[in-house]
Formats: sequence, structure tokens, C-alpha cells
Amino acid sequence: MNMEKVGIDAGQSSDTIAFMNLAFLQAKLALDSLEVPVGCVIVENGKVISNGRNRTTETRNAIRHAEMEAIDALLDQWKKNGLSPTEVAVKFSNCSLYVTCEPCIMCASALSYLGIREVYYGCSNDKFGGCGSILSLHMIRPGSSSRNQEAKKGFKCTGGVMASEAVSLLRMFYEQGNPNAPKPHRKPLQHMQTVDK
Amino acid sequence: MLNCSHDIEDMAMVKCGAQKQEHIRLCEIIHIPDKPPIAPHLQPTVNVLAAHVEPKHANTLIRKLNQIAPLESLRHVKRVRKIKSLTGGQCQLSVILCAALEDDDQFDEMPKGVKELIDSFQLSTFVTNVSKYAATTKEEWEEQCKLWPSSYHPPTYNIDGITGFSKDDSLSVLGFMTQAITLAKSCNQQMVNAAVIVDPSVNHVIATACDQVRPMNDPSIMSNTGSHLPKHSNVKIQPNAFESHVCSLGEPKHLTDGVGCLHPWKWAQEQFDTYSGDWHPLRHAAIAAIEQAAARDRLLFPTNFHSRESFIKDDMISLPIGSPSKKQKIDLEKVYDEDDEDSNGVDSHSDSARPYLCTGYDIYLVWEPCAMCAMALVHQRIKRIFYAFPNPCDGALGSVHRLQGEKSLNHHYAAFRVILAENEQH
Ligand SMILES: [Zn+2]
Ligand SMILES: [Zn+2]
Repeated sequence: MNMEKVGIDAGQSSDTIAFMNLAFLQAKLALDSLEVPVGCVIVENGKVISNGRNRTTETRNAIRHAEMEAIDALLDQWKKNGLSPTEVAVKFSNCSLYVTCEPCIMCASALSYLGIREVYYGCSNDKFGGCGSILSLHMIRPGSSSRNQEAKKGFKCTGGVMASEAVSLLRMFYEQGNPNAPKPHRKPLQHMQTVDK
Repeated sequence: MLNCSHDIEDMAMVKCGAQKQEHIRLCEIIHIPDKPPIAPHLQPTVNVLAAHVEPKHANTLIRKLNQIAPLESLRHVKRVRKIKSLTGGQCQLSVILCAALEDDDQFDEMPKGVKELIDSFQLSTFVTNVSKYAATTKEEWEEQCKLWPSSYHPPTYNIDGITGFSKDDSLSVLGFMTQAITLAKSCNQQMVNAAVIVDPSVNHVIATACDQVRPMNDPSIMSNTGSHLPKHSNVKIQPNAFESHVCSLGEPKHLTDGVGCLHPWKWAQEQFDTYSGDWHPLRHAAIAAIEQAAARDRLLFPTNFHSRESFIKDDMISLPIGSPSKKQKIDLEKVYDEDDEDSNGVDSHSDSARPYLCTGYDIYLVWEPCAMCAMALVHQRIKRIFYAFPNPCDGALGSVHRLQGEKSLNHHYAAFRVILAENEQH
């Protein structure tokens, strides 16, 4: 109902493509750091206010997905600015996320808890996807918990934005990780630039 | 006083303290299965045609029946039923002749040989029902045997505990769960969820954490949101933390309002008196504990370029190699596995003591984890999850979702509920 899988060239505004391109820049930074190439940006009022890319290998923490990185950067900033939880919640309700691959069950839950307004993603994630592939955590009906006045929140979700590019990027990662494939020359990771934050 | 330090050196020294936990008693450790259980008495059944037989004819009949009408789809059902006579006389024997049909035309449809046996042994037949599927639990099996005897083969999984716990194992489960409950009560004025990650092979605590959704009242136990290494901070646990009623932890409702996994949307309505403490809407206990375990890994096993390389797994996505024409094809089926880049773990050159994520580790949680936390524990490759109280709001180990049974996931842990009771003597 909230979910809308659009075709590759259907219904995508130039803004959507532009923001998704910025998410791809993040994904490419992940690829350069030998991480699974997934990236994202968070947009508020037409402006990118945070970005993130997958860092699971570097941190040895398999939950440091692109979405978590971008969310944490935002929260750090908002807390530094002295925002209260209620104010932070209002902020998130005006934010959209653009991510190159469908959020996993963990990230989709997190986005629902935060009350994000909208999510655009590239390719779907048939193993872990939480926005329609395995679970549909974005489709929680608002206000379905009344006892504690705690409103459950879903979000609008649009998949298939630049999906072919997302798949190609993952394919590149696969090929560079394949010992039989010619190994691209890479700088040691310690010298890699850190992105965002 | 139990000193539950967040310091890594100390953490390794905290061992299972089951002997100290005098006030909490273990009732039961229940495996939460991959599929929603069917009530044992509601198992599907099928009809069979059976007959009472003379004991002296039983062996001959069974041998012939196994040839003429083998019970192909009912291998779990025993061919013979023996009912002891109440008067102490001979046992009554019945055998299954063949599958029965729903309608009355039994004799037209039955195998030819069966009809001959009925005639030659002058059997009086009757239709009865037996369980359609083999029992998967002892309870199902017991229920099945009320209809007709069946055989039961307990599952032989490779995860310890699914087939039961030894006394020693139960004691350490109780000890670690008690530690989690103590943490949950001591971290804040309000009850929170708490997590203890344990290496069960040596019974060492790897990480402990409470929910950090709200600011802590005690600044000394404020944690390390955002930073990669835990600050040195001690959590003092009051010995009297056990005094309140453990079984009533889940009730009444207002006491559990601060539990992140139970109320994951509630943070947005928080009105803190001060914002001096750190808070994070997603920093549930399991998430914070995973972060701590990862920090420990990075500290104890500093990375190098070679070990990084070893993290890349070559079969992460099943792409057609050497077919460049297919490269242009958009194939949404080929989905990346955000975890699998390193699922082969440490390569042969690395220190064998180095953990690969949380492979082989257990986590103890006071409340059943929410969907976010349960999926985080899949990503981090936890082996077993123990929780004390179910989470009807967002529980993902059976209450709302059941991630341990999601076949598509690349890792599956075993989930257990630990049922506790307080000691009446207390
Ligand atoms: Zn994710
Ligand atoms: Zn949680």
C-alpha cells in the first residue's frame, strides 16, 4: 500500500536521481575501502544533511550499515545543538533517506523507530530486506499501539531507483573480492580518507 | 559487591557467578522453535483401516502387510498397537492394514492382498485415525500416542541446548541471566533492557550493556555513544537489586516503559529534565553490547592490511563470471549480502583466538529483542539468544516476528526463553 516499486525510468524526478547519485558517491567510497558498496544520504527540505556508507569490515561491527552511519552522524550533530528527543523526532519526520540498496530488517526497523518520512532505495535485498523483500516493516499502521500512547510509525517507500547501477556496483565489489579476478591496485586502508562526520 | 566493569581487562575476569545468585531460581529453559508451534492436540490426522488380531497371528500378519501395503507416508506410525487388558488378562493387539478412504468404499479401494488377509484370518476391521506427520517435539509425540503409537526422533541440531541443558549448563545460563537482570535494574532508576554477551566455551563475559536510549541519572555510568572504544567506567550493582520480585519484572506496565525493545517508538515523547546525559533512540542494550564486543575485538586484535584482505569473501554474490554480455542486464535477483563479505572469518594466517564478529557467542537479554536488535544479532553472528521475558510489542523471536525461522537469512541462531522464579525462602 505504501510500497511502490517503480521501474527504472518511470516516475523518478530529477531530484530523486540527483540525491541517489550522491548516495552512489558514498557507495563508491565504501568500494574504495573494500567494504560492501552501499551508501546513503539523508535529505531535509531539499538539502542533504547527512551521508553514510557501509563500514562493517573496518569496525568489525556488522551493524555499521550505511544507514546507521548517516543516522548517528545526524544524532551527534543534533544533540550537540541541544535538541531534545521531541525536537529530534520532529526533525526525522521531515527527512528522506536515499540508499543504494533496500534497507535490511535492522535498518528498516530503525528507520521506523525514528519516524523517518520517506525512503528511496536502489536494488532490492532478497536476503535481508525489511522494506518488502523479507519483512515489510515500513508498512506498520500508524497508531496501532494505543495503551502506552506510543505511536508505531511506518514510512513511504519507493524501490528500484537506479537499481541497475546498484547491482553493477555490487558486481564490481564481487569481482574485486574474487581472488581469480585481476586485483586492482589499492592503497593501504590506513591512508584512506574517512568520509562523512 | 559484584563489580561489573566495562573495562575490557576486568570483563574477561568476570565469570559465571551462579553460586552467588541465591535469590533467583531457574524454572525452565525453553527453546523457541523456528516455526510457530501447533498445539499438540491439534495435529493433523489421517484415517487408517485397522483390525484386532490374535497375538499368535501377529508376526505373520505384520510381515505380509509390510509387503502388501507398506505405510509409505506414515513411517512414523507403528504398525501394531498393544493395549494392556485392564483385567490382567492377555494384551489386545491391533494392526494397521492400510490407509483408509474418507468414504465407505473401503473394500473396493484397498490393496488386493489386504482383502485376502482379512478373509483368511477372519479379521474384524475398524477405521481409526493416526497422526499425519512425525512428531517434532516430545509433547507432540505424547499426544500422537494417545491416538495410535508412533515413533519419535528428537531433532539433532548442532546448536547446544536445543535438545536440553545439562545441570552445569543450566547453572551458567541462570548465572548469566541473573547478571543481565541485575544490570537491567541497576543502570537507571527506570527498568531498562540489559545485555550480556558471553563466550560459552570458556564462560567469559565479552560485553555487558544496558539500554542507552535515555540519559542516565548517574553520570558515571554514561556510556560511549559514537566513540569506538569504551571509556573506563564501572557499574556498581547493589546486592539488594535481587530483592524485588523477579517474576513481576514484566508487570506492571509503567515499570517497563523505559525498556527500549518493548517501546522502540516511545523515545520521541521523552521529556528529559536535563539533556546532560547521553541518549540515542536506537541504542538498545543489544546494539550497545555488540558495539562493545566489536571494540574489544579491535583492541585485542589490532588490524592489519592482510587480515582486512581476508575479510573479502569471493562468493558474496552469485554473479555469472566470464559472461560480460550479462553484465548489462539488470538483475534484481542478484542481491548483495551486506554481511557476507567476511563470513569466512579469519584466514589461516591470523591468530586463531581472534573472534570473528560474535561467532560462537551467546547473548543474555532480559527482554526478547525487537526486530532491530534481533536482526543486528543475526548480522553479528550470535550463536544463541537467551531472554527472560517476551516482548508482545515488537518481539522478533516469536512474539511478532520470528527471525530464527526466516530461511532467507544467512545466519540462524537458536533462541531460548529462560523462565525464572524467585526463591520462596527469600
Ligand atoms: Zn541495514
Ligand atoms: Zn531492541
